[in-house]
Amino acid sequence: MNNNALVMEISSDEVSSEVAVLKITGFLDFSGIAMLSGFFGKITAENKNYLIVDLAGVEMICSAALGEFMGYRKKLADKGGNLVFAGLAGAIRSKLTLLGANKIFSFYHDVRGAINAYKWDYKKQSKSITVSFPPFLKLVPPVRQLVSRLARQNGYSTKDAFRIETIVDEVCNNAVEHGLGDPGSEIVLRLSIDKEKVELNVTNQSDPEKISTLRELIKPAVQSDHVGDDDKRGRGLALIRMLSNNMDVKITERGTSVHVVKLREEQQ
Amino acid sequence: METQIQLTCEDVPGKADARIVRFIGDLDATNVDFTTEKIFGYFDEGLVKIIADFKQLRYVNSTGLGVLLHFNKSAKEKAGCFKIVNLNENVYEIIEIIGATSLLDIYDELDEAVAALV
Repeated sequence: MNNNALVMEISSDEVSSEVAVLKITGFLDFSGIAMLSGFFGKITAENKNYLIVDLAGVEMICSAALGEFMGYRKKLADKGGNLVFAGLAGAIRSKLTLLGANKIFSFYHDVRGAINAYKWDYKKQSKSITVSFPPFLKLVPPVRQLVSRLARQNGYSTKDAFRIETIVDEVCNNAVEHGLGDPGSEIVLRLSIDKEKVELNVTNQSDPEKISTLRELIKPAVQSDHVGDDDKRGRGLALIRMLSNNMDVKITERGTSVHVVKLREEQQ
Repeated sequence: METQIQLTCEDVPGKADARIVRFIGDLDATNVDFTTEKIFGYFDEGLVKIIADFKQLRYVNSTGLGVLLHFNKSAKEKAGCFKIVNLNENVYEIIEIIGATSLLDIYDELDEAVAALV
């Protein structure tokens, strides 16, 4: 058997009915164009609009094949889809880059990375986490640092991640300070992050003795942009309001809920 | 698990009542008491002119900012000063958006702050 023989196979990823993965191995030269066109036909017949081409096993690719990919990508794009490359080895990646393909196609390290990008960039799916912790101040730093890392891992800039970390810190500190301090109670942080924004919801049980004070405290913070030298209270809420794009506080006898939306400001 | 902050102190040549205090780590609600104790310890020793070097201070929150304002005010009441140098961009932004840049004595470089000591 020729080790360089061209082999192609399609697998439909379970993530979505519209995603197909075309795995190619061997030499993709002019003689393989007909086979490639045939697979494109099958993918079209199955109504799959998003094609991930796995080139990890490809040893050579000719410019005619690249032209074929460009043509099919255009067809998919016209239907709102895309064709992306995954698993590009060093020499193939260099060649495609030299040919300018990186300006037309997205390159991903592997199929998994391409699928993640499909979910994140193309379908604009969000990721969510929920963290529950007892109302202890010392637990706030690891929570805020966790959220900051999550933002960084999902492509947010250092500055945006810092702002998000600050918002989480301030909201959670307020929950510890003004909520029920009973170790049996808990603060629940729900965070949803997508490519464009972070949404944060923090709830905690109310302390009946602190509710009226808390209602008063949120007033100046909501009304004032700047806090003076002698204002001991309200800096945290003022900071959250100024760092975020929307903040909503609900206080009831049962609990306090703070909802914050922070839009992504900087692209990496 | 409290957030780590370290404060290291060094003399300022020719200024017996001044010290450079380097802040290393995060300044937040979990360590403001420790920080306050250290700074007021210097005040109590007559070291009322403090230059706070924030080169290695990664993070500050509203509680941390509150104690910085407190240090600044207390130092002035003791005829001293609390000067801040080498702020990173993120920490500066927090101080700026809360409107505290005009309340604090901030310098870009350590040399400038030392030269401004009276």
